[in-house]
Amino acid sequence: MSAFNRLLVADFKQFFRDRTAVFFTFAFPILFMVIFGFVFSGGDNVSYDIGLVNNDESQVGVAISQAVNQVTIFKVTEGELNDSLDMLRDGRFRAVVVIPADIQSKISQGEPADIAVYYDPSQTTSSQVILSVLRELINETNRQLTQAPVLLQLAGQSIQTRELSNIDYLVPGILAMSVLFLGLFGAVPLVQWREKQVLKRFGATPIHRSTIVSSQVAYRLALAVVQALIIILVAYFIFHVQVVGSWLVMLGLVVLGTLTFVSIGYVAVSRARTVEGAMPIIQLIQFPMLFLSGIFFPVDFIPGFMRPIVTAVPLTYLGDALRQTMVNATPLHSLAIDMAVLAGWLVVCMALAIRFFRWE
Amino acid sequence: MIIEVEHLVKHYGLVKAVDDISFQVGRGEIFGMLGPNGAGKTTTVEIIEGLRTADSGRVSVMGLDISKSPDSIKQKIGIQLQAPSLLPLLTVEEILHTFAGFYKRHLPVEGVLELLALKESRKVLVKNLSGGQQQRLSVAMSLVNDPEIAFLDEPTTGLDPQARRGLWSVIQDMQSKGKTVFLTTHYMEEAERLCGRVAIMDNGKIIALDTPHDLIKNYFEEKAIEFEIEHPPSKDALRNLPATTNIVIDGTDVVIYSDDIPDTMSALLKYAETEGLAGQLKDLHVREATLEDVFLKLTGRRIRE
Repeated sequence: MSAFNRLLVADFKQFFRDRTAVFFTFAFPILFMVIFGFVFSGGDNVSYDIGLVNNDESQVGVAISQAVNQVTIFKVTEGELNDSLDMLRDGRFRAVVVIPADIQSKISQGEPADIAVYYDPSQTTSSQVILSVLRELINETNRQLTQAPVLLQLAGQSIQTRELSNIDYLVPGILAMSVLFLGLFGAVPLVQWREKQVLKRFGATPIHRSTIVSSQVAYRLALAVVQALIIILVAYFIFHVQVVGSWLVMLGLVVLGTLTFVSIGYVAVSRARTVEGAMPIIQLIQFPMLFLSGIFFPVDFIPGFMRPIVTAVPLTYLGDALRQTMVNATPLHSLAIDMAVLAGWLVVCMALAIRFFRWE
Repeated sequence: MIIEVEHLVKHYGLVKAVDDISFQVGRGEIFGMLGPNGAGKTTTVEIIEGLRTADSGRVSVMGLDISKSPDSIKQKIGIQLQAPSLLPLLTVEEILHTFAGFYKRHLPVEGVLELLALKESRKVLVKNLSGGQQQRLSVAMSLVNDPEIAFLDEPTTGLDPQARRGLWSVIQDMQSKGKTVFLTTHYMEEAERLCGRVAIMDNGKIIALDTPHDLIKNYFEEKAIEFEIEHPPSKDALRNLPATTNIVIDGTDVVIYSDDIPDTMSALLKYAETEGLAGQLKDLHVREATLEDVFLKLTGRRIRE
């Protein structure tokens, strides 16, 4: 067996004997996905607690109250006005709808009747949803009462062949995150070997430095591919997220991404003397990159003055490429641009690592 | 000559770690290098091994220049480093297989395990080995490529007496197969017993180089009177004794070097009696001078310091 293969075998044996490493490589991304997957998928069937005060027992009053009750995202509780408002103030209701006593008589006289809605404006999102649903409901009721014909109708057409849910958005992000972690920490064994004089011992044999590094990189690549496969399979079986794009492109992206982040990792720790010194440097790169890449939320949420960072970090491009390939999400850039930026980072960092990595 | 070193110089900043040294080692020789810590031994050895580069001077190993053909030299030398904290999650035999794979030619791992008495611990992870086992593993790693020259750096440190003698016979076996051993050691007894020639290094220079026998004969004709005493007398008092050449007092240990043992001894006993110390001289004995004495005389230090 060649020196390269021996080292690779040795790397894998050591990896599988290190339970912590195995956990963080395989179990952690899955755990992360399962937890966040369930948290986000909960958002698909939200319901709002609504208080309903019906002061009009007439046909119209009952009809409106039934209509409110039938809204699937409302959990309606009928009650007295004062009690209901107290519940709203306590946060147990998101809104209180009040049907006035004289609604039928006003309508029959041809006068508009007010249906009052009390809400808490500090609950921005839920208030907007509730108000627009109620507005729609009142419009529809109006139309039925006035028997007006339908002239215009909104027909929503999704540009996706199928609906993208939160989890569809999340899985490529987790894939990108795990490639980032695996890559950035890729140089840590070499720092450890340098610190513990293993590199010196290797230096006393005819083995070349390039063989040592390439076996390390091959080992990381293999881990990354296996890890990606596990994530994709778990996503498929638990959350029914399917890879719609090419598997070959996915593989290419995982490999390219891993190489890019491994080379960044090597540059980052090229001068670190100890593993304890290397870890904070890696974390200093890892966390800002994680949050400024838009892999877990759309870049629109990031304030404008930080956008240049978003444009610079390679993780943005890996996340974008994986997302458009895996679930056919709307791309930020074309796949070619994503790959070119990753390759650019790879070439520059590789050159820097070769120049600056300290062997002794 | 299998190793030739000419005018080797190496600085670390302003410190001259190796100060223009030259020496040669013959094929089949067990060559010892002694010196206090910081004398420049390790730097010298690491330059010969190709682990460091010299500032100036020439090193040739097996006729090849180490700065020009390090790869072909490394194929044929074996190096044992101190403090081998190597790949803790591999077993003894896995680590030997890994290292064997680095060479074009290597011995069967089975035989190396046998040689260093590591067969029983072959499946033990490196992190779980005892100090002595780790030490033997680091020697085994240096022999796995069946080297022409083995560089062993304090190979018997931390070994029990039995394991130490076992390793000595491994080293002597290598010599009988025509291999060369370059040994650095702290144990004078080991150097005297194994080494054909010994170089003593101090402050970056080789201050003596000869067979152990000739080193002792040339630098140390006298013998030593040794004893222990709770409150040693002053050096001056002892120096007045006849035929003494040197006095060394180290804590409660006293060594009197003498050209004429009977003369010095009778004067010492008389002195002890008049001073009322007669009953306090413990473990009084006369011995031949050793390499340790030569070392002490030449460097002013004990090697174990």
